[in-house]
Amino acid sequence: MLKGHLDAIVLAVLESGPAHGYAIIEAIRSRSGGTFDLPEGTIYPALHRLEQAALLSSTWTTPPNGRRRRVYALTRNGSARLAEGRKAWSRFAKAVDSSLGGGRAWPA
Amino acid sequence: MAGVIDRYVATLTRDLDFDPALARRMADEVAAHLWDAAEADPAGPSPEAEQRAVARFGLAREIAAQFAADAVNRQAKRTWIALLATVAVTFVAMRLRVMWLSDVGDSLSMLAPLIDRYAFIAAMAVGAIGWFAFRRSVLPLAICLGTLAGSIAAGIVRAGLFVEGAPLHVLLAAAGEIALIGLLLCHVVGLGRFLRRTALLRRPG
Repeated sequence: MLKGHLDAIVLAVLESGPAHGYAIIEAIRSRSGGTFDLPEGTIYPALHRLEQAALLSSTWTTPPNGRRRRVYALTRNGSARLAEGRKAWSRFAKAVDSSLGGGRAWPA
Repeated sequence: MAGVIDRYVATLTRDLDFDPALARRMADEVAAHLWDAAEADPAGPSPEAEQRAVARFGLAREIAAQFAADAVNRQAKRTWIALLATVAVTFVAMRLRVMWLSDVGDSLSMLAPLIDRYAFIAAMAVGAIGWFAFRRSVLPLAICLGTLAGSIAAGIVRAGLFVEGAPLHVLLAAAGEIALIGLLLCHVVGLGRFLRRTALLRRPG
């Protein structure tokens, strides 16, 4: 189930600023309280796919005392896609909640 | 002697050999990730920390299979666009030939006009079915390629373009459809290669 939403989760992490792959996977783990503990390598096909779709951009950076890393940033298209993803998820979550009997009837 | 991370990166690079540029990029990117992970290990950098970093990263083969599946999707999209362009240019070239032939009289062959027309219609029909039902399959694209190539060859024979003088626009349209059928062939072969690679990476063991 997580895989279906991985692209939106990655976009959401990058909303707070550019980051490299390791930092993104750490942020996903931290934000989910350890619930989303997916194989770390899974993030790279997603990053590549999002970059191919022009939702992310990337550049190589080398900090003064560090190793060379590819840093990803959200593009304008990526921000728009994230906003759409949030709306879609909100509708879906409300519908599931209603179906499971935990909330009001949907749509309200 | 190569360490755990170096060996893992070498394996991933080999599994990504269907896209050499991607393989080079991932080699650097994944190595940086794994060294970061090994250095962040609570026990500190060690061969065991490298092993744990690699284990958390996932199987190289499965990651390469995800890249290959994305490559199939992109290649399928490019191939369908190439098919659409080939159909459009073939149709225009066919109409130009028919208009020219209506002025100068039809061809040497009785069969060529039939092949020209019905092979084109067959390509359209197979293309439409393929688009709706088998978008990631190479078979409908290969059939379209074959039937369009047949239609183009028959059209050229029909107009006798290789033996008689023809207006420049008719010759240019024929050159365009030949160029596009070549491009389509390259895309279909590329799609077949990506599909085979994805199947191999997903095969257990």
